[in-house]
Amino acid sequence: MMALCAKKSDRRYRWTDALAPGGRRALFLLATIAIVLLFLGPIVILVVTSLRPGWAVFYIYRGTDFTLQNYRDVLATEAVMHAFVNSFLVATLATIVSIGVTVSSGYMLSRFRGPIPRAWFGTIYVFRTVPYISWVLPLYLVCYHLGIYDTYAGILLPHIAVHICFFSWIMKGFFDGIDPSMEYAALIDGCTRWGAFLRVALPSAIPAIAALGILSWLYTWNEFLFALILTGHNTALITVTMAQFVTELGTAWNLMSAMAVMAMGPAIIITLFAQKYVVRGLRI
Amino acid sequence: MLLLIAPAGIVLVLFQIVPIVFGANASFRDWQLFNPAQTWVGLKHYLYILGDSTFLTIVLPNTFLLTFLSVTLSLIGGLALAHYLHRNFAGQWLMQTIILLPQMIAPVIGAMMMRWVFNDQFGVVAAFLDWVGFGPISWLAQRWPSFFIVILTDVWIWTPWFALILLAGLRSLPREPFEAAQIDAAGAWRTFTHLTLPMLRPVIAVCVLIRSIDAFRTFDVVWILTGGGPARSTEVFSIYTYVETFVNLDFGRGSAAAIIGALIILVVAGAMYKVAGRVADVAR
Repeated sequence: MMALCAKKSDRRYRWTDALAPGGRRALFLLATIAIVLLFLGPIVILVVTSLRPGWAVFYIYRGTDFTLQNYRDVLATEAVMHAFVNSFLVATLATIVSIGVTVSSGYMLSRFRGPIPRAWFGTIYVFRTVPYISWVLPLYLVCYHLGIYDTYAGILLPHIAVHICFFSWIMKGFFDGIDPSMEYAALIDGCTRWGAFLRVALPSAIPAIAALGILSWLYTWNEFLFALILTGHNTALITVTMAQFVTELGTAWNLMSAMAVMAMGPAIIITLFAQKYVVRGLRI
Repeated sequence: MLLLIAPAGIVLVLFQIVPIVFGANASFRDWQLFNPAQTWVGLKHYLYILGDSTFLTIVLPNTFLLTFLSVTLSLIGGLALAHYLHRNFAGQWLMQTIILLPQMIAPVIGAMMMRWVFNDQFGVVAAFLDWVGFGPISWLAQRWPSFFIVILTDVWIWTPWFALILLAGLRSLPREPFEAAQIDAAGAWRTFTHLTLPMLRPVIAVCVLIRSIDAFRTFDVVWILTGGGPARSTEVFSIYTYVETFVNLDFGRGSAAAIIGALIILVVAGAMYKVAGRVADVAR
């Protein structure tokens, strides 16, 4: 009772008290508007630009001319469609392989103690820190010598290497959160260590794995530097093709916007329909 | 146990360790791309870069300034957004979706968007400045305005990341201290500085560590927005390395730059890891 009284009367003066009744609500509303403008604004502008005919992309122009012609033009460009297919294939394949590889690596980090896990963790940590450019640059020549430059393998494997460094410790966190006593029970009942991993630990980690898979797919789809250095004509990816358009088409902002909107389609779909998983996967 | 990390280990060795060794070898040689004579020149490239005024007075300060400002501003913005989202209101999911979007779309697209928004003739900002009565500003034609836009874009992309992780941190905090603070009539700001911040410190430490490492190697945002220009004045470490290798076609010098950068970030990250380790169990 005391507490309740104190809350009502002795409350310290806050600057928001100076506002009229409902002032706090107004402040909240202002914050909401500011967030929408800042975060959604640029995206909306891009979408609107992508729907404008070429002569009407100027912001000052406020007419009602909208057209889907830009999308038709982009879809008719063979190089762009090629890049979309490539990006999709690379993102999907890289995700499947790297999830398979990091699950076991994360499980190992979580369940075993000793010098080998510690050394492995240290290695991952160091290579998580090394800037991409420092090893992708020589990798260009290595891939060239191995004859896998500008093939799917040449762009897939470096992505998988990065995912190992990024996702092993997130995966470790997931497995840390799963009580190992079930596995011990399985071991006592005559299950092998592999059986305990595959039949007991793995199924309970499925939601976490799905979360990481979605993020991994999106990161690969969005990645730029690897694509810039390690892909050529055959395996051109969407981010690089888009960047080339920026320099080549210079002022054709309507076409560029249409392409960008299409390229961010997966990101928007994932944010809208799989947000629960994304938020879960972002936990560090 | 070793079998669990074998696939990950092989990929890591082949696609990160081998290239780094390869690059280290190249950094001691006179290695022009597509010139077969690769004579040993010792430390020549290292001495060149460490004496290069572009590297010392532009690239390094830019890199550290970008890292520092991007991390600090995104952290502040992220804390604010996390507090904004940390309440129950209708449309909470919608606002979280809007806040999440910049993090989900490709940085390349984000940078293109900003280029369009800040276009000095047709951009929204130009129209706004015109409406307010200022003349047009050629944002990308001068050093500091371009650098400002680079930082703005990076903060726009990464604030959501901080916001979501800090929101998860806020939600996991115990309620009792906050109830006690309310009973003691502590103001919102004092509650924040004396309770929320100290309790969130482990999460913040890990966030800042990870984000600093990633911000140090920023490539795509700068490449799309300014390409390092005007006149190399906004080059950061990754761009400098890329330009030395693929524009000036000097693989030896590029490799030396790559290794110098990797060493710098390893030392910085090691020091930060120590500091972060004091407030949080980073390795977990």
